Amino acid sequence: MLDLRTSTGWFFSLLGVILLGLGVFSPELRASLTAVNVNLYCGMGMLAFGVVMLLIARKRS
Amino acid sequence: MKLAPADYLILAIYFGFVLGIGWRLRKSVGSSGDFLTSGRSVPVWITSLAFLAANLGAQEVIGMSASGAKYGIMTAHFYWIGAVPAMLFVGIFMMPFYYGSRARSVPEYLKLRFDEKTRGLNAITFAVMTVFSSGISMYALGLLLELVLGWSFTSSVLLSAAIVLVYTFLGGLTSAIYNEVLQFFLIVLGFSPLAIMAVLKAGGWSGIQSRLPPVMTHSWQYMSSASQNPMGVDVFGMVAGLGFVLSFGYWCTDFLVVQRAMAADSMSAARRTPLIAAFPKMMMPFIVIVPGIAALALAKMSVGYALPLKAGGGYDYDQAFTTLMAQFYPSGMLGVGLTALMASFMSGMAGNVTAFNTVWTYDIYQSYIRKGAPDAHYLKVGRITTIVGTGLSIATAYVAQHYNNIMDILQLVFGFVNAPLFATFLLGMFWRRATGHGAFTGLLTGTGVAALTHGLTVAEHKGGWIAPLHQFPSTMAQNFYIAIFAWTSCFLVTILVSLLTTPRPPQQLQGLVYGLTKVPHDAGVSWYRKPAPVAVLVIAVLLALNIWFR
Repeated sequence: MLDLRTSTGWFFSLLGVILLGLGVFSPELRASLTAVNVNLYCGMGMLAFGVVMLLIARKRS
Repeated sequence: MKLAPADYLILAIYFGFVLGIGWRLRKSVGSSGDFLTSGRSVPVWITSLAFLAANLGAQEVIGMSASGAKYGIMTAHFYWIGAVPAMLFVGIFMMPFYYGSRARSVPEYLKLRFDEKTRGLNAITFAVMTVFSSGISMYALGLLLELVLGWSFTSSVLLSAAIVLVYTFLGGLTSAIYNEVLQFFLIVLGFSPLAIMAVLKAGGWSGIQSRLPPVMTHSWQYMSSASQNPMGVDVFGMVAGLGFVLSFGYWCTDFLVVQRAMAADSMSAARRTPLIAAFPKMMMPFIVIVPGIAALALAKMSVGYALPLKAGGGYDYDQAFTTLMAQFYPSGMLGVGLTALMASFMSGMAGNVTAFNTVWTYDIYQSYIRKGAPDAHYLKVGRITTIVGTGLSIATAYVAQHYNNIMDILQLVFGFVNAPLFATFLLGMFWRRATGHGAFTGLLTGTGVAALTHGLTVAEHKGGWIAPLHQFPSTMAQNFYIAIFAWTSCFLVTILVSLLTTPRPPQQLQGLVYGLTKVPHDAGVSWYRKPAPVAVLVIAVLLALNIWFR
């Protein structure tokens, strides 16, 4: 059967890459209440989560 | 709020994954049992997160942050006194009977334990209620997206319903459960940055404390009398009404959540499902309630954040969450936040649809309409029910849009029906003398007493349609006390009638009642695979949270 860790892993890795890309190449994207490059940091977090999920899935199978 | 192409891309990717999971799981559906009960084969970490996510609708996210802004950290009682103790109870004490009885649904357990009429009553009211609540949450989503993004009500309702329909139709309960897990992660990862940024901007927890009246940042200190706190609830009403009757009634008897645990691959996994789910559940207030409190603090500072006002004056608390999102998330992350909101809606709706499916197919169709057909027939009925259930929910969403009052009345009536339920299950599982006649009369009496209490008391101009004998400080307090009276009357009448009627012989109650059921001991497995140590750990964290935010 389908391993949910793999799907979750790919989903968040992809999301992480998109956000990271936005954070690096469009750093001017900012929200009104914060000076933080939100996309950059959230992208890193999501990519890390996705990769960890993929690693766990690989280790178990 | 304005969305950029990147935001739409993220939303589209999410929809793609959700549908993809349904498509990949379509081959695992070979029988009605696979479709409606996942063939009892889902790993425990998945059932645990689905247990949580099925209840985590968009209304919960928006509603809890609104309550956070309105009532403060007291709102966390819905988790720390409400949900979590009930989740411990269902895992430790009730799951052995649900799972051990081999019942396929909660109403079917009632049939095995009591009789046909008790099952019929529970199955029919449950089926009607799930369709309506899924329709009402669909309506809420349509309204929200219309307000925040300017999307048309019809297109957002139809689009999200169509996606839920496709993946539940393809993969049944397994598909709904798998997607609920993906939705859970998205909700946590999509919303926690918002909570962190909002709190930091407001100067941390101490900054929030310094800007708001102390009642907003203490959950217990202002509860000795109802007049001291904005909820208008006293300690007894809170602990007995919400903590005991309403929460145990929901988490221990509502098939929507119990179904997830019953899909687990072993008894031990079924019991640990709510216990493991309790850990993230305890932390949810930090993601959904705290941003609401932070929003109120930010609104009192001059940082450029304003909580929108209602047409009639006063804050429009329901907009706290979305306005924070619009002002803390740039395009990109905004798409993730919005996707998480849609995801929370879809997980709630899929939960309703799959629970409705099972109860309709097994407890109504197979029991009253067509018995003894081959399994393939029930699989087909299950699939058709998915379509019909979704269609009925959409219809309900439109009815709700036009006739708000009908929906309010329906929700009130559902409250009356649900309030006494836990007394029936408690007696059924732990007192072998309880009889079917006792359970049935108890349930009817409880519902009647709930309606009567509502008719005799008034709160915020609600109720009192018989005679306004008593005034409650808030509708919340009224609801809690209605539940207490309904539960108590159901409990007493069930005992009384049971004693007057003939009990079933003990051999018929094997596996259904405490004392006649063997609970397997998990010898030789590590401690974290046993229910009891996990429960102790949950209690320790729960106590710490309650003390910290007292």
